Amino acid sequence: MNKSILSSAIVFAITTSAFSVSSAQAEDLIFPPGEDDRFSWSSYESLKSMDLKGEKVSVFGPWLGSEKEHFDHVIAYFEAATGADVEYAGSDSFEQQIVIDTQAGSAPNVSIFPQPGLAADLAAKGLVTPLDSAVKQGVVNDYAAGQSWVDLATFKDAQGKDDFYGVFYRADLKSLVWYSPDNFDDAGYDIPETMEELKTLTQQIVSDGGTPWCIGLGSGAATGWPATDWVEDLMLRTQSPEVYDQWVKNDIPFDDPRVVNAIDEFGWFARNDTFVDGGAASVSSTDFRDSPKGLFASPAKCYMHRQASFIPAFFPEGTELGVDADFFYFPSYEAKDLGNPVLGAGTLVSITNDSKGSRAFIDFMRSPIAHELWMAQTGFISAHLKANPDLYSSEVAKKQGGILRDATTFRFDASDLMPGKIGAGAFWTGMVDYTSGKESLEVAKGIQKSWDAIK
Amino acid sequence: MVQSSKRSPLTWLVHATVLFLVVIWTIPTAGLFISSIRDKDQLSVSGWWTALSTSEQRMVTRVTVPKKPLQEDGLYVLTGNVFEDNKQGIVTRFGDSSLRPSEFESGKVAELKRELTLTVLANGDYKMTSPKAFSSRGKRIFYTAEIPPRFTLDNYREVLGSEGLGKSFLNSLTVTIPATIIPILVAAFAAYALAWMQFPGKALFIAAVVGLLVVPLQMSLIPLLRSYNFIGDIFGVGSKGYLGVWLAHMGFGLPLAIYLLRNYIAGLPREIIESARVDGATDFDIFRKIVLPLSFPALASFAIFQFLWVWNDLLIAMVFLGNNPDELVLTGRLRELLGSRGGNWEILTASAFITIIVPLCVFFGLQRFLVRGLLTGSVK
Amino acid sequence: MGQLASALVIVIVGVLGCACYFYGSNFLLDKLLPSKNKPYDVVARNLRIAGYIRPWLFLGPAFLALGFYLVYPVVESFRLSFFGRSGEVFVGLSNYAWLFNSDEFYQAFKNNMLWLIVVPTAATFFGLIIAVMTDRIWWGNIAKSLIFMPMAISFIGASVIWKFIYDFRSGDDPQIGLLNAVVVFFGGDPQPWITLPFWNNFFLMVILVWIQTGFAMVILSAALRGIPDETVEAAVLDGANGFQIFYKIMVPQIWGTIAVVWTTITILVLKVFDIVLAMTNGQWGTQVLANEMFDWMFRGGGDFGRGAVVAIVIMVLVVPIMVWNIRRANAEMEGR
Repeated sequence: MNKSILSSAIVFAITTSAFSVSSAQAEDLIFPPGEDDRFSWSSYESLKSMDLKGEKVSVFGPWLGSEKEHFDHVIAYFEAATGADVEYAGSDSFEQQIVIDTQAGSAPNVSIFPQPGLAADLAAKGLVTPLDSAVKQGVVNDYAAGQSWVDLATFKDAQGKDDFYGVFYRADLKSLVWYSPDNFDDAGYDIPETMEELKTLTQQIVSDGGTPWCIGLGSGAATGWPATDWVEDLMLRTQSPEVYDQWVKNDIPFDDPRVVNAIDEFGWFARNDTFVDGGAASVSSTDFRDSPKGLFASPAKCYMHRQASFIPAFFPEGTELGVDADFFYFPSYEAKDLGNPVLGAGTLVSITNDSKGSRAFIDFMRSPIAHELWMAQTGFISAHLKANPDLYSSEVAKKQGGILRDATTFRFDASDLMPGKIGAGAFWTGMVDYTSGKESLEVAKGIQKSWDAIK
Repeated sequence: MVQSSKRSPLTWLVHATVLFLVVIWTIPTAGLFISSIRDKDQLSVSGWWTALSTSEQRMVTRVTVPKKPLQEDGLYVLTGNVFEDNKQGIVTRFGDSSLRPSEFESGKVAELKRELTLTVLANGDYKMTSPKAFSSRGKRIFYTAEIPPRFTLDNYREVLGSEGLGKSFLNSLTVTIPATIIPILVAAFAAYALAWMQFPGKALFIAAVVGLLVVPLQMSLIPLLRSYNFIGDIFGVGSKGYLGVWLAHMGFGLPLAIYLLRNYIAGLPREIIESARVDGATDFDIFRKIVLPLSFPALASFAIFQFLWVWNDLLIAMVFLGNNPDELVLTGRLRELLGSRGGNWEILTASAFITIIVPLCVFFGLQRFLVRGLLTGSVK
Repeated sequence: MGQLASALVIVIVGVLGCACYFYGSNFLLDKLLPSKNKPYDVVARNLRIAGYIRPWLFLGPAFLALGFYLVYPVVESFRLSFFGRSGEVFVGLSNYAWLFNSDEFYQAFKNNMLWLIVVPTAATFFGLIIAVMTDRIWWGNIAKSLIFMPMAISFIGASVIWKFIYDFRSGDDPQIGLLNAVVVFFGGDPQPWITLPFWNNFFLMVILVWIQTGFAMVILSAALRGIPDETVEAAVLDGANGFQIFYKIMVPQIWGTIAVVWTTITILVLKVFDIVLAMTNGQWGTQVLANEMFDWMFRGGGDFGRGAVVAIVIMVLVVPIMVWNIRRANAEMEGR
């Protein structure tokens, strides 16, 4: 009996060996060290002082596909310089998986949190390791508006004491509208400078027989998050930053009329069948990675797509930024005197399983070279002051980096700061319900109720 | 059984209804398979049921402007072919504006703005002329092409290689084989004890096994995760790993295994076992020499169940096995792909087919045992 | 490949280990309490003691595994349901209080009830119909085999298959999802099926019905064959038609089996998790208890207490079936 199953298992083994599996090869260093003097090679050289031969560092983050490739290229330099063996794993269900992993005591050495709120949740359970004050000081000095990045990474630990938990590595600029310059040329449209103009353009496109927007909220287990960005952007364009901050901390309730108004503003765009490709009903089910593709379809399915700076990674293969695609700033209301606020986000690199290697990796993550290496690829912007902006792979990215560095009113993605259960749960679900036809006030009340339930 | 109704219209109705149901039940899987071997560009624009017909695709390309453009009769000339990467097709219409992407018929010379002319031939060759030098940013050509059906194994090549399904396939096997075989022995001994040995509390134990059959797996996740954590700490190892998954699958498979095997073993002829006892054989000998060989069908049917269940499991693997690509099993990988490659049906269909192919083979090969096992378990 | 080799080694080690345990422990027992070449009373005593111990040697590993993997977690979940989010602070009944005031839970519960009504009914109904019909035609076995096939497909694989069928393309684009293509063919408007409020639940249930009908069919088919031919023939002679035979003769005869099939599928439905996770993750109003529990445990930092409470609810829902199962098993054993 066992023998027969064993032998069939061996048959399996033999048949499967036909699928030769390419094991992870040592990554090549895509930019030869020392050659291109725009890079801060000195910060690469200084890595070599750390000898981490045989040290394994497991890194877990949200990046998959081409983003993972880019990050793997960055990691390769750390490995080459220190001799450490870094293994990066990405997951689409990072939010759930990191909780499982940390609870199970099998946390990766380093975790890259797409939402600081989630890191705060885990820090409160004592599952994240605080960083040295030297690291903290480094962030204050090296980052644009350094103190604010430190504040965003400062959470309460299990004893309720504030501590500093991570460095921001990749920043995202959210307030961007992507478009195809050629399509705008063909139709004779101009870039809107104010929210009023944007709304007029939206209606103009419809009356010309086109569809203005592509909006997609689908994101597997995280479905709904793109809508939270819309609401946050519109919150910043209808209310003062102070109100925004109160909203983030739940000092004003979620069903406050000012918040509900921002949700309705989003509804003006997303709940109008003629404004959105596929009609309002398809918004929540369209995958966010697929929805920008409508810009490049023949004939174009839509003219504009509001999404963060990382989205070019999901443009069709061969799309050239600045030529095939470009962006403009998601404008603010001329009628309201709120300046030009910028909404952004960032991924937080923290230690979830302390080791010598993970400390070194954190140091690497806040060194200019780590930022430059991804900047020189694509889809990366950095708030690091010492990272050379000439290395941005495109003018588009450089422009974004500039917006981020020079922002006067900069606010961090609210949903990323809210408690995980809200910012990575009830808010998402609520926005899915809203785009599917539920009333904004009802949705907001539901989210507030969930928030009350976890207080 | 009901011979009398032969040849009646009812028989035809039965045939038709069964055929209809069979088609409904098979089509989803068939569609998946056909889609998985189609060219990805065609898959995304036409249904799999049109796989054999020519599909019409609308595409856009940008002309490349060489550093030194050709000049002919005082005009600047650009030439090339709209079809990249060796795709073949017949261009039917073309245009230069996103507003009118199929304005001209192929072969025609289109007069565009700024005295440009453009012509695209049916085979995809294009020629663009201009009295002035071209700007470095090439114009876009929109074209409609008829692409003949194309079947390919590229999708499979891609998912097995770069999407890491090959590795996951091995991981699934690694999880499944021990988790299928080890519980059998443990369960067989217990089943024998429950069937042929006398001891206090036997009835209670059987009742417990029956009761545990229905305990929802979800109950176990939190406590087990905590226990694993605790045990892992003692030994200074991570709490996730193959050993934990094997044991968990064994634990969760045992009630069914014991129940099935006990029903079967209890049904073996009493005389054989009694006479062996009279001959002075111990229970261990009886089990080893008589019961085990006789129970082969039941053991096989449980093995199939357990195999299918472990192979198809997502929850246990998600919680008790790591999430890094080196440990992700097929179901977990497929779930990741559903999230990260949500719209890439060529990836999803090929991956899904790879995950279901092994259970399907096991199923069709060993269906006889599976059915027998189901019947031992449920119909009494 | 090395990994697979190590899996095979584990199999061998595991099997050998099990064999060694059983062989060794029995050997030890026989050595310690010899039953040969000893005075009669010693042998009798030894045999008696060995008779007490041996069943536990046989049962031991299974006993431990069941205890650790199934019994202990039930008890522990119950305990955790009175504790806070990290399972350390006693919070009394507050998790339960939260549960009964939670719209989220209410919705998941309502949906689960819907699943409980629809899926077992539909799967049993189709299974029965197909079982009856395939028994009458020469290619019935092939038909059965094909309808049984989805049973081998994982929930997650089935989800991909059906997600493809429900695929939705906006506007005038050709539909690549079969369902929308059919709808368009008959002149209807394509729909994003899995987001349609309320009805999307049914589109998810279809997947489980698709998987489980084969199971119902196989078992019911066997039960139908067990009906004595005479019964049916007598009815035919009495002039009963096909439908009357089905409803009046066959169904009552196999009522017990129908109940077994029904409850088995019911238990499965209570645990349904993968399908919802993969198709909607509970969005668009499709949440079910198992996924709700998973969400509370592992999303947004995790809350063991609330996760455990939801688990307890699932457990409470299975208890009646558990009791019924035990009774049936007991009755069977007495009948033997």
